[in-house]
Amino acid sequence: MSLLLQKIATKHVKTLIIKYEPCVLVISNRKLNIVPSFYDGEQDPAPKFFTPNVQNLLKRLTRPDFTKVFRKRNNQGLHALKTPKYKFLTKEELELEIAKANEKADVLLQIPPVLKIHKPIDEVLSRDPALIGYDTSKYLFTDITFGIANEERIIIERDTDGTLRSCDHDIRKKLNQVYFPITGRKIREPHMFSDEEKFHNLLDRGEYEFVLDRACIQYEPDEPIFQKITSITYQHVDNNKCYNTLRSTRHFGSMTFYLTWHQSIDNLMLEIIQSGFIREAVLLAALRHDVHNDVREGTAAQSLAQEIFTTPLLLSKLERLTEEDIQLDSKCIQCIEKYIVSNSTIKSQHELALQGFKEDFQHLSELRKGLEKAHGNV
Amino acid sequence: MCSKILTLSNVLSRPMQLFFKPNATSNLKPNINVTSVACVSFFNKLPAEKLWKSVTSVSNAGAKKGRGKGAGRIRIRDLNRGQVIGTGKVNMLWPGLSAPVIRGRELLKQQKLPDDPERMEKLIKIRDSMTKFRRLKLSSIERGWSGSRMPGRSIGPPDPIGEDEFIGFDTKVLQLRSLLIMKGNLGRTRNYQAMVVTGNGQGLAGFGLGKAKEAPAALRKAKNRAGQKLMHFEIYNGHTIFHDFFTAFGKTKIFVQKKNEGYGLKCHRAIREICQAIGIKDIRAKLEGSNNLQHIVKAFFIGLLQQRTHKQLAEEKKLHLVEYRAENEYYPKVVASPTEVRTKDQIPRDETLHFVQYVMNDKVILRKKKFPPFYEKMPHYKIYLKKYEKYRNHEKIRQMLKVEYGDVKSFLNERFPEEKVEQSET
Amino acid sequence: MSLPPASGTGRYFAKAAKSIRLIRQGCTNRPFFHISVTHRRRLNSQPVIEQLGSYDPMPNINNEKLVALNLERLKYWLGKGAHVSTPVSELLGLSGFFPIHPRTYMTAWRNRQQERENLAKQEAENAKEQTAAT
Repeated sequence: MSLLLQKIATKHVKTLIIKYEPCVLVISNRKLNIVPSFYDGEQDPAPKFFTPNVQNLLKRLTRPDFTKVFRKRNNQGLHALKTPKYKFLTKEELELEIAKANEKADVLLQIPPVLKIHKPIDEVLSRDPALIGYDTSKYLFTDITFGIANEERIIIERDTDGTLRSCDHDIRKKLNQVYFPITGRKIREPHMFSDEEKFHNLLDRGEYEFVLDRACIQYEPDEPIFQKITSITYQHVDNNKCYNTLRSTRHFGSMTFYLTWHQSIDNLMLEIIQSGFIREAVLLAALRHDVHNDVREGTAAQSLAQEIFTTPLLLSKLERLTEEDIQLDSKCIQCIEKYIVSNSTIKSQHELALQGFKEDFQHLSELRKGLEKAHGNV
Repeated sequence: MCSKILTLSNVLSRPMQLFFKPNATSNLKPNINVTSVACVSFFNKLPAEKLWKSVTSVSNAGAKKGRGKGAGRIRIRDLNRGQVIGTGKVNMLWPGLSAPVIRGRELLKQQKLPDDPERMEKLIKIRDSMTKFRRLKLSSIERGWSGSRMPGRSIGPPDPIGEDEFIGFDTKVLQLRSLLIMKGNLGRTRNYQAMVVTGNGQGLAGFGLGKAKEAPAALRKAKNRAGQKLMHFEIYNGHTIFHDFFTAFGKTKIFVQKKNEGYGLKCHRAIREICQAIGIKDIRAKLEGSNNLQHIVKAFFIGLLQQRTHKQLAEEKKLHLVEYRAENEYYPKVVASPTEVRTKDQIPRDETLHFVQYVMNDKVILRKKKFPPFYEKMPHYKIYLKKYEKYRNHEKIRQMLKVEYGDVKSFLNERFPEEKVEQSET
Repeated sequence: MSLPPASGTGRYFAKAAKSIRLIRQGCTNRPFFHISVTHRRRLNSQPVIEQLGSYDPMPNINNEKLVALNLERLKYWLGKGAHVSTPVSELLGLSGFFPIHPRTYMTAWRNRQQERENLAKQEAENAKEQTAAT
């Protein structure tokens, strides 16, 4: 019994095992597992992230399902439901309306920017020792001139020792919130972020979207605490393979970029191949090549990705294949095979998943051939 | 008055004591000479009925003025209630009257038992409870629109016809009234007329009208008639109608509006009962013109029957019917498409394309202008607003402080401990 | 809302002298000031021409005093020749918008002197206590 327990514990990463004869003590400690990581190295992720190619790849990988994008939410600010409205539309008008809705979806699915952590502001404007003793408290001055962006606003402080200096980011953020409040942002840090226990509880309950939405409102993308929270959340999603909870939301792109940047897309790749979206696997490989330039057949993947962009977005596996589908998918399979050989760290699992997909694909293509024969189109 | 009644009741309940009072204990002994005394008084000369009348009656002139009615009215009480044969002021055991003659193997003897001191109090309590008039009381679930009257009350499913039973049906009374009819030989006679609606809450419903000499018979007839005239209505998403509509019967006009989930039934009570019978949950209806109940019912049923489903509407117009919901960020959802769609050029210029206007047959609800309340023009209201200006954010700040510090206090309380901290209610 | 908005609704006369001053808002025991431009001869209780900022003289939980200044409008009114009251020019001096006001230096100097005196007094008392103890 104890041996079995020990085996389970060793398999499970979240536990710490202390061996002491004759008993084995297993301490579960999830806090040991996830270490937050930041975009604070030499390289700046922003130029890579904002290239149109990467943005397109990330948007396509989000796999937006409009029933989920436009679903009923609890935080919409509607205190009561409203009576639905109806319209009679011609075909052209309907297409126009759908195009408008797609634009709205683009806004809803805008990926939060990925930036390097900001540098602290330490700029002394003047020193005046004759002012020592004037007051026991600091003075904070904010320029509230109309029409200035929050980032460019003059916010300065006069210290008790007479130094006049520009304020650091945290004070700037606080004062901006005091004079130009952003709805939903709190001046004090919410307990769900400051209290470790509550934060982990939320993650364990799988409330990833709630955490990330709230973090986007509460923090700026170049703040260390934002990156800490999001990185822990992304890793939690990655460990539990709950990618589907973040699909069709604006955070999936950020998460994919985060995983790609930190060279840990193997689990995501495995999930994508297992669920039968081979084209998305190619897109992911192309993204990796875009970011790191380390995939051997990277340029081939990139050109294949351009080809995939022209095909319509798939929300589920295809039931019937056309001739073009078969050609494209077989190209994709070849590309992924090469990727697995050159870049995968969990080769056996990837190969197994790909084998499963191949069998399925073979079955569908044979069905297609049979149908062709039956219709007499061979 | 009360004491008077009490003495009276004493006399009435124990007339025997009047005769035997002087030697009540000696009458148990045998062979005693009893001299009969003619004991005639006001109380035993007249029957109870007449005695009561003397207490409760009101003079003719007084009755005309309305005396003897309302709260202070004296009512006739049954003084025998609560009394048991064989028990009286003196608690005696009478074998054969208040107890069996033989108990087990023992022959019971006449004997005195200990007195019950609370006997009289109990009797008085029972008599007092008779003084108040009580109306028939129904539980709040059984109650109809008003008190114990029939309209609005449920009378169960219609009677089964042969083998077929009405399972899941419930009938609500909408109207029960008496009609007076003149007849050649009988003169003025009274007839009852009832209107009921029955339904299973899942789209099936019907209404019926019944007439009879008695109210229950009229209700039964109406109920069974309603059960035979069931109609089926489709319900949109299981909670409301398909579209707004206008409907009329005689001088009664009804404007019915489709509403969102959770809105409820905001309409005439008869329409509400009908909706509940059908299974519609969210609707608003505005009544104009005559409020004759039978006309309302008929008009509403006609309106429901004339509804068109979304598919029918799309086919009529030969256009896509698109739904926009606020909770879905107004994402256009096609609810019905016709087999062939017209293009913009095929639509005549004067055709009604506005959905609500189309389904309402170009009828418009009269929306009266809302005037501000009268007090807003008065000087005191301005004074109130000025004074209130100071307190406008207090509630919000109290709440924020409670969230932050757990009480109505701030960091300044530590700096100035002499300031009193306001205790929260909890 | 029955009171005029803080942004100012007072009548404006082009040729009358203007003044930028602190106007006390808030309530009993809780001072709060608006930095406003108004006519020089007008009472502080009357509506102002325009509000240019605010000043909270009570330090917050982090021991900071918050001052907001609409620098663009401030420049405009200064260009119009508005007079600036001493407390406002002290605040503007501290913010670096004006040179430091002499009264600021005077206050600082007096505070320092006061502190020095207090210290000296304290030391003298301490010395006295020590001599008494020995």
